[in-house]
Amino acid sequence: MATATYSKAVNTSPFYSLQLRRFAVVSLVTLLALTITVFYLMPFGNMTLLAIKSRDQIAAGVDGSILPLEPQLFNYEGEDYPVYTVPFEDGTVRELALVRKGRQTSQFVDPANPAAGLVEWAGNWRGLTAVSTIQPHFENFSEAWDIINFPRLFGNTLGIALIGMAGTLLSSICVAYAFARFPIPGKNILFLILIGTIILPRQVTLIPTYAFFATIGWTGSWLPLVVPHFFANAYNVFLLRQFFMTLPRELDEAAMIDGATPFEVLYRVIIPQSWPAIISVSLFHFIFAWNDFFGPLIYLLGKPELQPISVGVQTFNFQYGQRPELVQATSLMAMVLPLVIFFLAQRVFMRGVVITGVEK
Amino acid sequence: MQKKFVLVAALAILALVLVVAPAAAQDKVTVTWFVGLGTGSNAEQIEVQNKVVEEFNASQNEIELVISIASANEAADDLFTTLVAGGTPPDIVGPIGVGGSNRYADLWADLQPLVDSTGYDLSVFDPALVDLYRNAEGQLLGIPFAVFPSITYYNPGLFDEAGLNYPPQEFGAPYVMPDGTEVPWNYETAAEIAKILTVDANGNDATMEGFDPASIQQFGLNFQWARLRLMWTNIQPEDWYDEASNTVTIPESWRTATQWIHDAVWTSHFMPNATYDASEAFGSGNAYSSGKLAMAITPLWYTCCLGNSVGNFEWDLAVVPQSLDGEYHVATDADTFRMLKDGANPEAAFTVLQYLLNEAVPSLAPTYGAFPARPSAQQAWIDSKNAQFDWGINWQVAVDSLAYNNPGNMHHESNMANYGKATDAVFAFQTMLFSDAGQSIDVGAALDELQAEVQAIVEES
Amino acid sequence: MSSVDATRVMPPQEVAPQRKKATLEQQQRRWGWIFLSPWIIGFVVFTAAPIIASLIFTFTDFNLGQSEINFVGLKNWERLLNDPLALTALGVTLKFALIAVPVGILVPLGMAALLNSKALAGKPLWRTLFYLPYMVPAVSAIFVWQSFLNGQTGWLNRILRGLGIADPPNWFQDETWILQAFILIGVWGVGNAMLTMLATMQGVPTELYEAADVDGASGFTKFLRITLPLISPVIFYNLVLSVIGLMQYFEIPYIATRGTGHPGTSAYFFNMHLYKEAFTFFDMGYGATLAWLIFIIALLLTVILFVTSRRWVYYTSGD
Repeated sequence: MATATYSKAVNTSPFYSLQLRRFAVVSLVTLLALTITVFYLMPFGNMTLLAIKSRDQIAAGVDGSILPLEPQLFNYEGEDYPVYTVPFEDGTVRELALVRKGRQTSQFVDPANPAAGLVEWAGNWRGLTAVSTIQPHFENFSEAWDIINFPRLFGNTLGIALIGMAGTLLSSICVAYAFARFPIPGKNILFLILIGTIILPRQVTLIPTYAFFATIGWTGSWLPLVVPHFFANAYNVFLLRQFFMTLPRELDEAAMIDGATPFEVLYRVIIPQSWPAIISVSLFHFIFAWNDFFGPLIYLLGKPELQPISVGVQTFNFQYGQRPELVQATSLMAMVLPLVIFFLAQRVFMRGVVITGVEK
Repeated sequence: MQKKFVLVAALAILALVLVVAPAAAQDKVTVTWFVGLGTGSNAEQIEVQNKVVEEFNASQNEIELVISIASANEAADDLFTTLVAGGTPPDIVGPIGVGGSNRYADLWADLQPLVDSTGYDLSVFDPALVDLYRNAEGQLLGIPFAVFPSITYYNPGLFDEAGLNYPPQEFGAPYVMPDGTEVPWNYETAAEIAKILTVDANGNDATMEGFDPASIQQFGLNFQWARLRLMWTNIQPEDWYDEASNTVTIPESWRTATQWIHDAVWTSHFMPNATYDASEAFGSGNAYSSGKLAMAITPLWYTCCLGNSVGNFEWDLAVVPQSLDGEYHVATDADTFRMLKDGANPEAAFTVLQYLLNEAVPSLAPTYGAFPARPSAQQAWIDSKNAQFDWGINWQVAVDSLAYNNPGNMHHESNMANYGKATDAVFAFQTMLFSDAGQSIDVGAALDELQAEVQAIVEES
Repeated sequence: MSSVDATRVMPPQEVAPQRKKATLEQQQRRWGWIFLSPWIIGFVVFTAAPIIASLIFTFTDFNLGQSEINFVGLKNWERLLNDPLALTALGVTLKFALIAVPVGILVPLGMAALLNSKALAGKPLWRTLFYLPYMVPAVSAIFVWQSFLNGQTGWLNRILRGLGIADPPNWFQDETWILQAFILIGVWGVGNAMLTMLATMQGVPTELYEAADVDGASGFTKFLRITLPLISPVIFYNLVLSVIGLMQYFEIPYIATRGTGHPGTSAYFFNMHLYKEAFTFFDMGYGATLAWLIFIIALLLTVILFVTSRRWVYYTSGD
């Protein structure tokens, strides 16, 4: 039935060629996006494939497959031996388990007939092809999950990220509004000072900043990680200011003539037009907080119960550096929540644009 | 809209207030213990350390011991620096090695007065080991805790496959070649068999004509996770820094040693270069545990990291090869806990230190892979290792190796002017030696350059 | 106590008439300061003191290894002039920025334009996928890239060999390729720039495009004449941040080269030098001096960008 509808629409539409052209353009552009994505996300694919390999599969060889190939094993007298495809001089090819490795000759056993004992084969076993099947190891995820206390780390990260996000939104919107719309004397210099605060490398302000928080007794709590965000930061203010400055002044002026206070202008006129930027700032802060590592590490030292996921993942990276599969599985799991939030946020993002359109 | 705005603000403030944890009243003396500058931040180790702290706190009522574990090791130094410079230094740091201690040489407390006042018995230790912790002024900056002699870890399966005998497990024993001839177990012999143990994808070994160095599947020998000075010192211990004249000389034997390493990596190919070493196929920097390295020369602490070996192969220990002079010299790492000077409560800190060095040894030593410096604690360590690796490892090799450690100024981490910077320069040279840029260098000329560089560094101070 | 109470009781009406006399300009200014106040308070309380402290460090011999701090005048600055490694490191940083800044603007711009295209099906999916790498924590990302770019077993070289390039570069060990490798890694971090550009593109009024359609303008002309000017404030934002970020470029080369900047000094970035002096050799005084040098350079570049921005950044609000 679906086919019938389709062909009918195609055949009788007066816009047939137009539709076809449109279809061609859409396919072409989408194909372009697909190609870019494939290249762009290739390291990500590398990461994912690593995450589902077993340690033995990863070590399987320099020219080993990128796929999680599991050698077929045969248990002979209590030990597991890998099965190889072994060619013999008489032209026969048999699948045999390699029991005793040697440089010139090796000994195999026939899994179909182990009672026959060991078969001697002349040649170097390294030239043989191992019999293997694709066998992803999804249990890496559950293993990593069991080692790391994800629920607690997620909870802490969400707490730190959301409180800081609320703080930075409230403060940065106000400050950006001030820079974008008000005739403050020396505004350019002030703005340069604001930008200046992020230009000085953090390495040199780290120790004085730490000493300050240690003196007022804030170390060992979330305070140094969230409170400063309530006082705006250059990244967010700069972005919001840039966005506010793309908004025409006519609407705020009209609101002002209607007797609106600047506060009212901000949340009735500016904010509704700025959702894309506000969502961007929220998202950036969220991801910053999600991945910020050294701050939580130093301020929450000795308080594992307060530490966020970044510290958890990093710790894990170090402790299980020899188990890349677990490290990657952990990194992937740590990304799931931000990913979901991004996916949801972009819907709001779109809606925001619609509102802007209506108001214009 | 306005309501929402106010609501969000109120919620944020409320959340802030909740975060401010009320500080609990403390009537005990607090002693902080910082872990992370050496070993001690693996998951199992963290668990054991926490238990030690718990037991210590339960054992008395005067002191509250608090542990801070810098869980990600790369950042531990930054963290420690920040704590100290920021005015909140810990009281006790450790385990920390000789080199790590040298980096922070001016921070450590002299323990001699405390040893004298408490009558702490140092006589149970090898005097050479105690002297390792004395500085030029005779201050005692540490008490022996753990020793890690260099050992040859070998993979018996790979020797079997190549039809080679295992390396000797006794000092003085020869190596038996496949044809039955006995040769001394030295670096020449090690290189010879390591080549046979290095195999490419076609099954050719490194002694064969068609050997392809671009597709190596298995390596013969590596100094696993070792710094260049440890390699040099194993090949031949030397005192390269003269304090009186403040001069650095790279001795002839280290030039030979460097050439040996260069040949091993770039000519004979039995030692992995940086690219192979970093690849996942060779354990992302931990080649021996990937099961594809026949011999790893590295200190005893490496047992820490063999619990997850590929295929759980049954590894064993052999003695290190004889040095160039035909004698045995074993580069030995020595870790301990150190107290910071300027601490608020040195007596309390020393009480904790004694606990860590005595009562806690049976718990801490096995988890650190730390062979106890206190002879009476050594058997318990061996027993616990045998429980972990149950196929019968020859631990006597480790015990025997202790007799061959190098005196203080020949130690591979012996102090020198501007230690941190000099170490950094040697590490840069090592990085170069093992990566592609090292392939075509003139080793002698490169060492001349290094010597000049390090000389300039020691003069800087 | 009582005097405070007295002021509280004071009826507000008495002040009100004066306020009314304030000009609109003054009123606007006052509002401006009110809105600015969170940042000013935060700056004074949290940010200013550490910045000033670091400036003071540059005139001292602050070193973790010694217990006292002495003022040494301009000695650190003198040392800076005679530190060839600092100059080399600065050169590496500037050279890298010269390639990385254009890439860091053009790549996200292209991606945003693609995501903004009406002809793209399944936008939410592509948006998420394009943004995905940005969410990978930096250290995990380096881990993946080290594996991906391994000269022997990395995917990229396997692909290149498959394409017939017999001897692909050993990325992290080749003087001529290591900066390119960092550019590749950097491209993975353009998510934010892409998103800000996309957000602004979607705010461009559709009437403008419709009007251009009537004039028969091509897609490319519309992008050049309408989209680019209207998103120029955000391009400017990303330009400034990317310059600042690149002057501080540190983490990736530090981890990838294990702090050596190897091969040779080809990946020895300025902030690695700073970090080593301050944290590896504990010379906080000299470290702070290096930091202030790069601060001054980055600030100058920022000022230049701001001054030139008047010619090419277009603000709808007329500023």
